[in-house]
Amino acid sequence: MKRIVTVLITAVLLVVCASCSSEDGGTPERDTSQVIIAISSEPETLDPCKGWGHGFTPLVQSTLVEYRQDMSIANDLATDYTLSDDRLTWTFRIRDDAYFTDGEQLTAADVAFTFNTAKDEQTTLDLSYLESAVAVDEFTVEFRLTRAHSTFINTVASVGIVPEHAYSEDYGTNPIGSAAYKFVQWNPGEQIILEANPDYYGDVPAIERVVLVFMDADAALAAVRAGQVDVALTSATLADQEIEGYRLVAVTSMDNRGLTLPVNKDEGETTPDGYPIGNDVTGCIEIRKALAYGIDRERVAADALNGYGDPSYSENDGMPWHNPETEIATDVEYAKSLLAEAGWADTDGDGIVEKDGLKAEFTCLYPSGDTVRQAVAMAAAEQARELGISIVVDGTSWDDIDRRMFSSAVLMGWGSTDPYTTYCLYHSSYALRDDYYNPENYRSSITDDYLESALAAATQEEANEYWKLAQWDGENGPSMCGDCPWVWLVNVQHLYYVADGLDIGEQMLHPHGADWPLIQNLREWSWTES
Amino acid sequence: MAEMNMRRRSALLGAIILILLAAVYAAGALMPDAAFAPDFSSSRLAPSLDHLFGTDWLGRDLLARTVKGLSVSITVGVVASLVSAVIAALVGVASAMGSRRVDAAVAWLIDLVMGVPHTILVVLISFACGRGMTGLIIGISATHWTSLARVIRAEVMQLREREFVAVSRSLGKSGPWILVNHMLPHIVPQFVVGLVLMFPHAILHEAAVSFLGFGLPPEQPAIGIILSESMSYISSGMWWPAVFPGAALVCIVLLFDRLGDSLKTLLDPYSAHE
Repeated sequence: MKRIVTVLITAVLLVVCASCSSEDGGTPERDTSQVIIAISSEPETLDPCKGWGHGFTPLVQSTLVEYRQDMSIANDLATDYTLSDDRLTWTFRIRDDAYFTDGEQLTAADVAFTFNTAKDEQTTLDLSYLESAVAVDEFTVEFRLTRAHSTFINTVASVGIVPEHAYSEDYGTNPIGSAAYKFVQWNPGEQIILEANPDYYGDVPAIERVVLVFMDADAALAAVRAGQVDVALTSATLADQEIEGYRLVAVTSMDNRGLTLPVNKDEGETTPDGYPIGNDVTGCIEIRKALAYGIDRERVAADALNGYGDPSYSENDGMPWHNPETEIATDVEYAKSLLAEAGWADTDGDGIVEKDGLKAEFTCLYPSGDTVRQAVAMAAAEQARELGISIVVDGTSWDDIDRRMFSSAVLMGWGSTDPYTTYCLYHSSYALRDDYYNPENYRSSITDDYLESALAAATQEEANEYWKLAQWDGENGPSMCGDCPWVWLVNVQHLYYVADGLDIGEQMLHPHGADWPLIQNLREWSWTES
Repeated sequence: MAEMNMRRRSALLGAIILILLAAVYAAGALMPDAAFAPDFSSSRLAPSLDHLFGTDWLGRDLLARTVKGLSVSITVGVVASLVSAVIAALVGVASAMGSRRVDAAVAWLIDLVMGVPHTILVVLISFACGRGMTGLIIGISATHWTSLARVIRAEVMQLREREFVAVSRSLGKSGPWILVNHMLPHIVPQFVVGLVLMFPHAILHEAAVSFLGFGLPPEQPAIGIILSESMSYISSGMWWPAVFPGAALVCIVLLFDRLGDSLKTLLDPYSAHE
């Protein structure tokens, strides 16, 4: 017992020492030819055919098209592209001055090989609708689809092209690409080193060498204090410290957090796996809408994220396919009137409203250990209580969430550069699946029609109009103005300590996940002073 | 105090500790949930007169959470230790009074349970039993009985050879009669001391398993949970969520340890000679 107590006392003393030793370690002289970036999530592979780069730019490989600052699509390897009248064939012309870093020219055959391989791999990239990719000539590639799919262009924007001649099983750990940076070295668990590609077809980047070191937020903060890294991701809980030689950069994101609310009442039904469906409280639309209108999103951001967050109104805030009409204003009185008109009243004086003996109380799950989701859930619950609705916040494992998400609220997060996410979140075919898109069991034939029309659209502009209508057409839709299966709360700002003198370019709107989106514009980075 | 002998000193110390522990338990048990509800307007406050232990990221008062957590720890410790001690008594007596085969089976079981580190075993059992308070109590109860079972087995075996037991047996008294009238009264001191000394172990295991995320749910005020959460903020200089609850846990463990020592002194027949 004495040994245990000694160990405990030593641990407490160490903790005190650790927290007291937060003085800056001084900033050593910087090497302006390189940048060292602390990354918290190490990739499993650098092979785009196996999911690398999906949702952001794959860094060492080029893509046919890329996102502009305003999230519209621009050519990269492609010089132009067309879509056939039946909307089943996409034809891309590619540039003739792109070379892989082993000196071989990048041709249409490589493009076709990449997409056919990615389709066969069946990883996170859904290419089930791709019939085949065919190289028509050296610099023309044709994609034949089994059904119209307007978001194919967004998929194309995140699939890096791999060399057919140098592709093997270990490509993911030793990739060859044609992008602004070339792969040099990967020490698993430690770092990835990249170097500027002198033969890149675009402007050669100003930073010659990039070292991505893998460490968690605490270690990254210590490394920043010691001046050992130039950029490090941090969190709202750690961001209020001033560190000499660094500035805090907050990047706006659509990395949202919101509540999924089962839209059906509990009628004893279960999923094929036997998990209960429906919730008597969230199954009432007035409860869902009261939360949507009654929760002040600015206050949630201030309370839970120390101000490093923005109100969220949909899964795609700020994207070209976002419907601004879904942005509702906080109106506590309206929220209360919705409840009162539906017959909810506090009859027993406990501050929580009831109706026909049913108390307005439900559980909100979040993955335990995720302090951001915990704080957001608690901040929302605190405001819900002011409306007379009790949200019991319950941190648990993902396994448990898998079982209970069809009958309880869940503090979920999305945010994607691909509008297909909107399809997955609201289409009936995704209801009650185990992929977290639509556990609320939202189904609407009107919404389904708009979503199908968006997929079948001939142009991005036309598709965007349908995506907007799918969210809210003035009368129907899953947005908070409509059936409200989601109560969107906040978009989390992505926070980084950046060394003074390092220009990290103009950051695009970040999707879900904070590490890799930061460096998708790496080729625009530069040191403005040493 | 100078005139008091060791026995009286132990009794007094034991009584004070018992009152202290009961007070902590009662304070926590009677505390309303509102006392440690989130209050974002007073988030991350350093210790002050308003908040003696400071507040955490969600603005919850850490003193209230700590006291509530200690009360939960005491509950888990007492219930788990009681169950564990009863298991130990049953297994120990069965091993000593039963056949050689039963004895061998019990010895094998004890070796098996002791062969796996307690924390790992508690994590596995607690996880398999659905985590939460029930899972944790089952986990701790199922792993802490071994040492006491050995002590009780040895005591019963010793008693079995004593004259008064032999006399009872020759007078035709049955096995259960001998067990109830001769054995049980003699193993009570070992049982009680073993039980009390089990409390601190049980509490520390409860905190350790909750700290690792396999015990109590994160919304439950428990010392392991508070310490686990504090790790996220320690590098930002927020030391108070780690130090005060940690120190309070050490104090409670030490108090239980002292209580066990006092009880041992009181139950030791030699101390009566002082």
